[in-house]
Amino acid sequence: MSRQAAIEHLLDHYEHPRNRGALAAPDATAIGGAPDCSDSVTVYLQLSGDGKRVARMTFEGEGCTISQAAASILSEAVIGMSLIDLAALDPNVWIDTLGRAAVETRQRCAVLPLRALKHAVAMLQQTRAAAIDR
Amino acid sequence: MSYTHPEVLVETDWVADHLNDPKVRLIESNEDILLYDQGHIPGAIKIDWVGDLNDPVVRDYLDKERFAALLSAKGISNDSTVVFYGDKHNWWATYALWVFRLFGHADVRILNGGRAKWVAEGRELTRALPNYPATNYQAAERDDATIRAFREQVREHITQPGTALVDVRSPQEYSGERLHMPEYPQEGTLRGGHIPTAASIPWAQAVNADSTFKSYDELLDLYGKQGVTPDKDVIAYCRIGERSSHTWFVLSYLLGYDKVRNYDGSWTEWGNSVGLPIEKTYKG
Repeated sequence: MSRQAAIEHLLDHYEHPRNRGALAAPDATAIGGAPDCSDSVTVYLQLSGDGKRVARMTFEGEGCTISQAAASILSEAVIGMSLIDLAALDPNVWIDTLGRAAVETRQRCAVLPLRALKHAVAMLQQTRAAAIDR
Repeated sequence: MSYTHPEVLVETDWVADHLNDPKVRLIESNEDILLYDQGHIPGAIKIDWVGDLNDPVVRDYLDKERFAALLSAKGISNDSTVVFYGDKHNWWATYALWVFRLFGHADVRILNGGRAKWVAEGRELTRALPNYPATNYQAAERDDATIRAFREQVREHITQPGTALVDVRSPQEYSGERLHMPEYPQEGTLRGGHIPTAASIPWAQAVNADSTFKSYDELLDLYGKQGVTPDKDVIAYCRIGERSSHTWFVLSYLLGYDKVRNYDGSWTEWGNSVGLPIEKTYKG
């Protein structure tokens, strides 16, 4: 993807965000923030019936174009993804997906929603492990 | 009283009247790097502080040759009137202006109110990219002595009479309450607090709600009542030197202080350095 194509893709998602809003009863949620950029993203995760895959991700937040567009793009990209694959998703690969040439100077903003989502999954798995231990 | 150097501020009407002035180059510099792509003032050029003004390897600014190449490619001449504007109360615009001054570009100005005021007034934005003929810009050597301060200079500065140090970060950062999230170690600091003797004057106190600068009298009172007076040798700092460039601009141009430097190493350097003292007022 060329730099300009990546910019157009990001602007489209920023101006027409997909899956924006809270979920009433998410299986997991997490807040991510990049204080220097005043960016914040809250992600909501709904799992498939077997609890192993992403059924839906939504988000709320405010901040720069890249952080908010990245959340929108992520919300489409992770549908159907296993939690194992999600946990293993490399931020560098995600940056390439977004278009490295367009976001390379703001990588922190680009990966903010992904980090929040991975944090939500990690917290969920910790809760599950604790329940098994009991 | 009026500003000491009122010529460095231009209003939105002035910009609207000079959109086709070949001597004028508008530069948009934002925190949000895709804001320009969503629409900018017709004819404006984009300068990104990370991609354009910073060295990619050394924590420093670009050198003389690369600055000349950048401005030549952007179609800026040595005698261009360069008007900076941007988001966040012109925070990044003043940072870009400060870097231009390191290289001695003479005619630099700020659009009072920045992007926010232009947009609030319903003025034209475009996604069309300007295409100016390349120039042969001749840059001066970067002057790191006059308006830039380094760590050891700050260390000496805080022991000397007749000096002032301004911490322009938020009160929470100043007190040491706030540290950055562990997910972002590249801009993190090990310690919270401030450089000893620093006065806390958050940078955005210098602007009104519409992003225009406060009046001369208001600004003089803001800084003067905390001991940051025109007779002193002043250094401003924040986390990486961007917010403090805004304060540097206010003190240097609007209030006309003779000796003001920006410590761009700022808290990310001082707060992490071995052997340097800090003060911390947060007791949590």
